[in-house]
Amino acid sequence: MQRRTFLKLLGTGLTGLSFLPGPAGAKLLQSPVATNRLRPPGAVPEEIFAARCIRCGRCVEVCPYRSIIMLDIRAGIHAGTPLVEVEKIPCYLCMKCVEVCPTGSLERIQQQDTRMGLAVINRFHCVAWLGTILCRTCYDKCPYAEKAIRLDQLRPVIDASACTGCGICTSACPVAAGDDRKAINIEPLYARQKVSG
Amino acid sequence: MNTSAGGKDLIGEDLGKGRKMAYGRWRFLMLSIAFLLILLNPFLNYFWHVHFIQGWYQSFGFGSLWFVSPLEGLESLLLTKSLYLPSLIGMAIPVLIALFLGRVFCSWICPVSFLLELFDRVRRLIGRKKFLKNRLLVAKRVLWFTLLAEIILSMILGVPLFVFLSPPGLIGREIMVVVFFRTLALEGGILLLIVLLDLLTRRFFCRTFCPLGGLLAFLGRKRSLRVHVDQANCTQCGLCAKSCPMGLLPNSGEGASAYCWNCGECLDSCRHDALHFQWQQNGYTVSVTDQRS
Repeated sequence: MQRRTFLKLLGTGLTGLSFLPGPAGAKLLQSPVATNRLRPPGAVPEEIFAARCIRCGRCVEVCPYRSIIMLDIRAGIHAGTPLVEVEKIPCYLCMKCVEVCPTGSLERIQQQDTRMGLAVINRFHCVAWLGTILCRTCYDKCPYAEKAIRLDQLRPVIDASACTGCGICTSACPVAAGDDRKAINIEPLYARQKVSG
Repeated sequence: MNTSAGGKDLIGEDLGKGRKMAYGRWRFLMLSIAFLLILLNPFLNYFWHVHFIQGWYQSFGFGSLWFVSPLEGLESLLLTKSLYLPSLIGMAIPVLIALFLGRVFCSWICPVSFLLELFDRVRRLIGRKKFLKNRLLVAKRVLWFTLLAEIILSMILGVPLFVFLSPPGLIGREIMVVVFFRTLALEGGILLLIVLLDLLTRRFFCRTFCPLGGLLAFLGRKRSLRVHVDQANCTQCGLCAKSCPMGLLPNSGEGASAYCWNCGECLDSCRHDALHFQWQQNGYTVSVTDQRS
């Protein structure tokens, strides 16, 4: 085989690897961010997060609650990036990670400006909304109670203007809705924003 | 305690031969300290919550002084097309070191280098050989191809590739993962592969397939610190070529080429005092040994 042919094959193969049909290819490129799977506070939109993050793991190392985990090679191109699995260990908004990020993938923001996502109550699962039990765990646990979660006729209601998406409510919620879901889940709305300019 | 101290003294006398401490021993000491730093660091962070030293050689925080690995920083910069000042400042010191001293990070600090050096020493001890053989040689120029391929491939995919698989960073990450999450990440297999490849050729990965090494070598093309051959003293015995971990020929002046990483192995091996480190300023050569200011 000629060198040129070999190099051509190698190049095509490597580039084509990411476009593999089926789940293998999709998984290599797919972002891990989903419901209850969030980036740490201050993260830039998912569109550029993978490009900006250098996978140095300093946010993982500094997190005192072990909320931030580091994805391994199974996450494809997103391997090594930080992720918070809020229904397991939520983010307690200590804001230590944003201060150590060397690339600005996590922007230095204030605690109340954090927008990891938005808490969304599933009214078909929430026992307070179903009316079976008088539960207000999420309201009690919310660090911004009365601002982010209010009680409306003893049923919790989210205010998007104050919810930081820290997921403390999700981890505290007693209702397991299966598939890592609870009756209150965090949707990564802000991670799906497009980058302006 | 007594016996170990005695043993150390004996080794010191054996290797010293009335000379100053050899570069090889300084280098191994430096590598050990650098490795110990990233080995202890997760424990300090995890068990005592001491965050003074943070991270590993991808981004290393020493108090409020941060270092960012140049290749990782460059890729992040190229891919997002935006500048971030802390990242640039963090890259400044490593880049300056590479500009003036060349690829010294690879030979004096890199944890992969430490592992391979340890492996080499064990192999020499077991095999009772003074020099290890290189069985498979790849053209040295492939290093530049690796660097280019890495950058281009990253730009095609839109994510920095090497940042995750970079073996210098991988070691730090593995140690952190073990300490923090009590598991081993799969990608540690790459380290095993690199150590196995070292059986084939010394520093097989470092020579030609490390993009970070490639970038540092590229930055260090016009470096000030070079290995200089004193042709008057050189007898062309070839000991330096045998001892060079990068497979260069210091006796024919390859110590001044871009591929040399200034480890000083050849200086230690030379019996005729023909090799020296030289500091070149604006084409004017100042020998390191005669210390003029």
